[in-house]
Amino acid sequence: MELTIENLGKRYGSIWALRQLSLAATPGMLGLVGPNGAGKTTLMRMIATLLEPTEGTIRWNGQDIRTHGDALRQVLGYLPQEFGIYREFSGRQFLRYLAAMKGLPKSIAHQRVDEVIELVNLEAVADRRLPTYSGGMKQRIGIAQALLNDPELLIVDEPTAGLDPAERVRFRTLLSSLTSNRVIILSTHIISDVEAVASRLVILQAGQMLADTSPEALLTSAVGKVWSVTTDQATATRLQAAYQVSMMVNQMNGVALHLISATRPHEAAVVIDPSLEEAYLLVTGQPAVLV
Amino acid sequence: MTTTALTGSRKQTQAIGRPNPLLAVLVWELRRFRASRLFWIQALCFFGLLLCVLWFEREPDTFSFHTFSAFVAGTSAWGLVELLPFDLLVLLVFLLPFVNADGVMRDLQRRTHELLMTTALPTQAYVWGRYLMGLLVSLGLALLLLVAILGTGLLLHLTITDYPAPAIGGVLMLWVGMVVPATILLSSVSFALGTLLPRQSTLVKIVILVAWFIGALILPSELRDNPTAPPAWYSAWDPTSAVTARGIIFQDRVAFTSVPPTSEAQLQQAMLTIENRLTDIGTWLVPHLVLAGLSLVLVVLAAFAFQRFRSALNG
Repeated sequence: MELTIENLGKRYGSIWALRQLSLAATPGMLGLVGPNGAGKTTLMRMIATLLEPTEGTIRWNGQDIRTHGDALRQVLGYLPQEFGIYREFSGRQFLRYLAAMKGLPKSIAHQRVDEVIELVNLEAVADRRLPTYSGGMKQRIGIAQALLNDPELLIVDEPTAGLDPAERVRFRTLLSSLTSNRVIILSTHIISDVEAVASRLVILQAGQMLADTSPEALLTSAVGKVWSVTTDQATATRLQAAYQVSMMVNQMNGVALHLISATRPHEAAVVIDPSLEEAYLLVTGQPAVLV
Repeated sequence: MTTTALTGSRKQTQAIGRPNPLLAVLVWELRRFRASRLFWIQALCFFGLLLCVLWFEREPDTFSFHTFSAFVAGTSAWGLVELLPFDLLVLLVFLLPFVNADGVMRDLQRRTHELLMTTALPTQAYVWGRYLMGLLVSLGLALLLLVAILGTGLLLHLTITDYPAPAIGGVLMLWVGMVVPATILLSSVSFALGTLLPRQSTLVKIVILVAWFIGALILPSELRDNPTAPPAWYSAWDPTSAVTARGIIFQDRVAFTSVPPTSEAQLQQAMLTIENRLTDIGTWLVPHLVLAGLSLVLVVLAAFAFQRFRSALNG
């Protein structure tokens, strides 16, 4: 069970959305992070056989998916960032429909649909029509459909969008429980999502891979480069203009800042343990989304 | 959300012994249509509209000789030749591009395309399943038209003195010769063009409807005042059947007016004889069926041209 990507590139007109990307993934969770427009969705759609690469190859178990797309789709579970529903169906009917499209025999499909409905905690509303679902429920239906065929390769693009904090935590736990016997690619711009579950991080920016590392290694690389200082408003504004700021809070005694810098940014600044967001910020040079 | 691990056997759930995928698509698409309230409301409105048109057009033509007069029954063969291409079929045609052209496009608009295209569903099963579902629904609407004709004809026969019962053979023949080929033709062309040009699906519908209206309503009206029959090839191959109908009506009128009646009873008898006969069916029935068959070639082309990799569709 191995996904291999070699020199992958995708061009829209004259703009490269992704360029020269190579990586290999084995069972486990790979967190794909990067700011909006980094090329995450483009990469996932190419892996999911929805987009044709401009250059490079994607192999699943050694077979090029351009010529063996059917073999990949047999074992693929895909949750797009945005997806539609059939308004005529209930949640259960929608999942049975997709189970049929995935080729599950009817006897297995019914059992399987019940399983995934339970897995995403939608038993109580499974027979309600889909238009009555909230955003979070709809997202859980999306997650459920991706799991219908017990996929070997599970691709989830921004899966926690629309979920409330409790649901997000439950979803991360669910994903963790699935990692043992499948390759999972989790794309997000919410660092805390991958921090909790991914053993490997790939950071993309402007179509380029900036880092292929582990959360621990990323944190280690940021040690000694994150500073905390509490100062007056004028100094805070000056520091904000000069350094990357990962946190800024107005307090009774001034403005508390977390600054990212290889050298001490202010005489009162003290080194603190970096968070993964700060380590990410150090790599990308852009603010992460803190949730 | 719970954290229960997946329990199903992976081999079982990964399309081992996959049932017929085309049948699966077809069955589920029909279930989807069946579950759509909007579709049933539209079908009911269509049926009601047909009944109204047939009721108000129950005597589409009348003839007078001195003090005698006779009418053509709207649900007779002659009456239907006057009504089908110009009224009833046009109503049906108005629906067909909307039922068929978006067979594939609807998934793109609703963003269900990505969910489907990442399953192991074979491309051909997806495309043909969508087409056949659209065709079945279209033929269902055509069947509704037949039911409306026969039902209204029977009702008129039971409620109006001297109104003839519908001649089932003649009605069926016209339905098979005019309605079924037109339904297949328009369903296929709409689906094929909608699939080949998914971003222009609205334009496809407009072009098809405008072309049909020109062929069924504008061109025949130009021929109406012409004292001679329309060209034989045009009558035979006209997909809208409107020019075909002009040819048949022309022949029927010549036959009816060639022997002046001497009594009202003789006039009615002559009308009954002529209004339920069908002249020269062979000259246009086969061409109409051939046109319907040819339209399937377009669907074959669209099915082969359809690609799962569609960079152009990532709106």
